[in-house]
Parts: sequence; C-alpha cells; structure tokens
Amino acid sequence: MYRYILRRSVSGLLLILAVSLATFFLMFAGGDPATRMAGESGSVADIIRIREAYGFDRPIIMQYLSWLGGFLTGDLGRSLYFDLPVSSILVERMFTTMRLGACAILLAVAIGVPLGVAAGCHPNTKIDRFALLFAVVGQAMPTFWFALLLVIAFSVTFPILPSSGLDSWKHYIMPMVVLSYFAAPAIMRLTRSGMIGVLDTDYIRTARAMGIVPRKVLMKYALRNALIPVVSLAAAQFGYMLAGSVVVESVFAIHGAGRLAWESILRSDLPVIQALVLCFSLFYIVLTFLADVVNAWLDPRMRIS
Amino acid sequence: MSTADTLLDVRGLRVDIPTPNGMLHAVRGIDFDLKRGETLCLVGESGCGKSLTAMALMGLLPRKALRTADRLEFQGNDILSLPEKAFNRLRGNRMAMIFQEPMTSLNPALTIGQQLVDVHRQHRNVSTKEARERALFLFEKIGVSAPVERLKQYPHELSGGLRQRMMIAMALMCGPQLLLADEPTTALDVTIQAELLRVLRNLQEEFGMGMILITHDLGVVSRMADKVAVMYAGEIVERGDVYQVFNRPSHPYTRGLLECLPIPGRHKHMAHLPSIPGVVPSLIGDLTGCAFRERCQYAEDRCGEADIDWRQLPDGQGYQCILPASSDGVASEVSR
Ligand SMILES: Nc1ncnc2c1ncn2[C@@H]1O[C@H](COP(=O)(O)OP(=O)(O)OP(=O)(O)O)[C@@H](O)[C@H]1O
Ligand code: SF4
Ligand SMILES: [Mg+2]
Repeated sequence: MYRYILRRSVSGLLLILAVSLATFFLMFAGGDPATRMAGESGSVADIIRIREAYGFDRPIIMQYLSWLGGFLTGDLGRSLYFDLPVSSILVERMFTTMRLGACAILLAVAIGVPLGVAAGCHPNTKIDRFALLFAVVGQAMPTFWFALLLVIAFSVTFPILPSSGLDSWKHYIMPMVVLSYFAAPAIMRLTRSGMIGVLDTDYIRTARAMGIVPRKVLMKYALRNALIPVVSLAAAQFGYMLAGSVVVESVFAIHGAGRLAWESILRSDLPVIQALVLCFSLFYIVLTFLADVVNAWLDPRMRIS
Repeated sequence: MSTADTLLDVRGLRVDIPTPNGMLHAVRGIDFDLKRGETLCLVGESGCGKSLTAMALMGLLPRKALRTADRLEFQGNDILSLPEKAFNRLRGNRMAMIFQEPMTSLNPALTIGQQLVDVHRQHRNVSTKEARERALFLFEKIGVSAPVERLKQYPHELSGGLRQRMMIAMALMCGPQLLLADEPTTALDVTIQAELLRVLRNLQEEFGMGMILITHDLGVVSRMADKVAVMYAGEIVERGDVYQVFNRPSHPYTRGLLECLPIPGRHKHMAHLPSIPGVVPSLIGDLTGCAFRERCQYAEDRCGEADIDWRQLPDGQGYQCILPASSDGVASEVSR
C-alpha cells in the first residue's frame, strides 16, 4: 500500500510538471506578450521596455524556471488589471470556491450513495423509481434555472435564506444545494448500478451461503466493492464543480475563483488566468491522486498495477 | 422411511421460475434422502436442475424463483417454512456450500483471513484469534502450504486450486453436518481435481459430514459416491447405491451417460467419445409422459401418454421408465 502511494505520488508530480509547462506556454499563446501588453497604441520603445521589465528577452527556459520558482514561493506575478500581486487576489477566491465545492460534494455523496444503495438493493420498486425521478430531474434541469427557482422560493416568496454572498452558514445552503444537485444524480446512478452488479456476484452468493447476516453482507461485502467506481466519479465531479462554479457564483453573487476566471478572461488578465489554470489543474491532480489512494485501499487488486 | 440417521429428507421438491414465456419448471418434484456421513452424487447434463436443487436446499434461490415441497427436513426439522432469519443461522453453520467458480466466489476486497473469521464469528461466540486458529487447523487438514501467510492474502494472490481450498476451509469453519458441493473441481485442471476430491473425501470421513456432490463427471461419481441420483429435465430418473446404478443402469438415460464415459482402450481419442444424440426438452410448461422420449431408442407410444410410474426395486434402486430393470448393464465394463 505504501509503495503504491509512493509510486502514485511520483507520477502525480510528473503530471504537475507537465501541466506547469503547458500553462507557462499559455502566456505565448496569443503571440508576443510584450506587444500585446503594450496594446494598439504602444510604440516600439514601449514594447522593448515591457520586454525588459518582464524579462521576456531572456532564454525561454530561464523564463520558465524563474516563473516556476516564483510560483513555488507564492509569487504568481502581478495582475494586469488590478495591478496587485496575483496571490493576494487568488488565494481568498480559491478558498471560497473550494470550501463551497467541498461542502457540495459531501452533500452530493451523502445523498447520492444512500439513495443509490437503496435503489440498487430494491430495483424496480417505489424507492428505485423515486431515485430515478430524482436523478432525471437533477440532470435535466439547468443549474442556473434551479438556482433561480431556489432564490425565488426561499429568498423572495418565503424570505428565509439570503440570496447573495457567503457571510454565514445560511448563505451556503442554496449554492451548496444547487451544486450538489448537479453532482448527486451521477453518483446515485453509479452507486445503484454498482450495487446491482455486485449483489449478483458469486462472492455475495458465497457470503449469503455462509449465513453472514444481510446487513453485514450489504455493508461489508457489497458496498465496498460497489463504491470503487464511485470514488473516482466523485473526485471528477468535484473537479467539474470548481470549473463550473461560475454559474452558481454569478447567481448568488459569490466572489469565487470561477467568477474571477470568467472576468479575467474578459479582461485578458493573463497572469491571473495562468495562475487560475495552474491552481485548478493542481487541485485536479491532487483530487485524482486522493481518489486513487482511496480506491487502492478499497480494492487490493489496484495496488499492484 | 426417515430414521434417526437421516440428515436430509426431501419429498416432492419443486422449483418454478416465472419467465416471459411462461413458468419454467426447473425442478419437477424430486425425492431423495441423505444419511449422516453419506455422499450423494447428483449427475446429469447441463441445465437439468442440479444447481437449483442445491440452491433450494440452501434457501438461496433467485428472488423470483418459487420453492415448494411435500417435505423438506434437515435433521428432522422442517426447513421449508423456516423464516429467513432462522435459516440464516443454519447456513454456513450446520449446512454449507462450495461453488464451482473458485476465481469469483471469494470477495476480492477482503483478505482470506477476514472472510474465514467472519464466518466463524457469525455463528460462534469466539474471538478473532480463536477463529484464526480454527482456520489454521483446517488449512493443515486441507493441505495448504504457508498457512499463516494465506490468512493475510487476498484472493487474487492465490491460484485457482488454492482458492478452492480456501472455499472448502470457509465452508468447514463451523463444522457443518451437511456439505453441498456444486461442481467443486470442474474449473480446475485434472491433477488438482484429483487432489481436491481426495481432500474432500478425507474431510468428510473425518468430520462425518453428509455430502451432496454435484457433477456431470461419472468418473468423479465412481470415486466419491455412496449413492447416485441421475437427473434429467428437472426430474430424478434413476437413483440408488452407486454400484447398483453403475452395474445395473435401468433407465436408458443412465445407460446413455455410462456409455459416454471414456474407458481406456475403448475410446482412443476424446473426439470419438459418444454422446447422447438429441436435445433436452424445454422446461417451460407442463411435460406429459417421459421427458427423455425424444432421445430414447426404446420409446413407445405409451411413453408419451401418461406420466411414467416410479419403479422401486427391492434392494433400494429405483427408476422412472416403462422398461424392466436391466440385468446385464453396459456398465459391467466400467471398473470402479
Ligand atoms: N435465474 C434463473 N432464471 C431463469 N431460469 C433459470 C435461472 N437459473 C436457472 N434457470 C434454468 O433452470 C434450469 C436448471 O438450471 P441449473 O442451474 O439448476 O442447471 P444445472 O443442472 O446446474 O446445469 P449446469 O451443469 O450447467 O450447472 C436451466 O434450464 C436454467 O436455464
Ligand atoms: S419411459 Fe419410454 S421413452 Fe422414457 S426412457 Fe423409458 S422407454 Fe425411453
Ligand atoms: Mg450448475
């Protein structure tokens, strides 16, 4: 198990390196950055000055190394729009989005898994139909629409929940529900189909033939195997949730990373975009790493490959 | 007929499965009994209802299947109407089962030790340590090398033969009186097969278990059985002591099976092995008359007109056919 974690960490680090390279070259995606920064009215002298100020005249490998070094020490460059260090803008925003995402994914798992287990244990019964309805509605309803419905219901008609900002736990409820309803259906479906598949296996028949009590067969012998694919899915959903948080952050006026990304793209604020892309990618890599470790713990067969 | 020695008494056991095309009568009213320490072999072609019979005894039929019987007694107690919870206390404890597929019958996410300990602690008030000791004791009987390490291993780390030994150990953790083995060696290669059969027989003698061994291999029957029941299309068509059935097979189907047995010198290549021509009738709906008549060379009109009476011979052998008991038997050539 420890050997597996070690090996998996090494490949994770290599991946991070690759992603950082790709992000770095983003800077050059739109042509010479100095020319772009000088703008339409910039003179040749301006361009040269910018080039020297930002070090664009150095060999590319040196630029990459100093950029990476800066990143590792928390220096993410300066925002072109705010004229502030990127880190001072980003960290707060990133935490806001992640905190919301983490709450939402936990809620999605807390609803999706038990519902999936119940549906998978009793296929084609009332509970199964209910779970299916829950999933279909969740997957069919656009996120922004559901968010607006909630706002109308709980902020306007029955004003019990605040509709904007994230100042108290009450503010978290609606964005969290919206985000988790986006993730829960897939988690529910995968748990359900996993459960149906596992309950039909020979090893569950063995456990029953040995007189293991049904509750234990379910919780110890079946669930563990059924959850293996769900772990990876939940991690991926968490990732999407961050990337897709722009809608929810706009509706609920939350100052999160999703909204920052959107605005920075509109403003061509390259250093911020770059830092956001790198942070999201890093987070995604860490997530899949954690998912793989959990899976290796659940399924010993994964520890060898 | 049932005596103090009787472990299992089965009368008129039926298993019906509803399907989109109608009711599938997979087991059509079978009778047999089993005494303490005795081995009964259930033989017959694929699909004749052997596995479902065993599953019916264990109360493990598919959810939609219906089990009925005139009598189903285990150690003198009715188990037909036993509530699920009480049945669960028998399973793995006083009756246990091993399956054909060693590769998939053990839980891939749990160590062998965890699975064996769970079974023991489910039925006995013992510590984990005591349960492990029981497992190690059985490993020694079963001939498992490096027993202590095995407990820590996962099923995927073991070969098929070893996994099947683990299944046997699991089934024996609580010292059951009845062991059901559904083709326990079919998936393994020949040398391991022979070895495992020997292990099973030794354990059975040592613990005095009754055993129902399901197989379609008459070679296995000749090595293991005290009694044989030959199944065809959900019915038992012939039943008796193994030497009676082998030496005096009276149902044409039994004779057919015995003729298909490879005998050294008679059949040079497996490819030339004869098989009974024709196919098994559909099990959906009612069958009148003899189910074997489409394939029977002795079939007469009356074979299809009414249900065939069971013929009981004075020495205990019985069969379901209009023909008189055979006196010679093809099987006289079959050496035991
Ligand atoms: N779950 C099920 N649903 C519908 N039909 C079934 C089901 N299980 C078994 N059957 C049918 O019941 C019949 C008997 O099946 P069973 O598994 O008992 O045969 P078997 O004698 O064990 O055969 P094999 O040697 O192939 O294991 C078969 O015709 C099979 O198609
Ligand atoms: S009853 Fe008739 S058809 Fe059936 S096995 Fe006997 S002879 Fe053949
Ligand atoms: Mg079978």
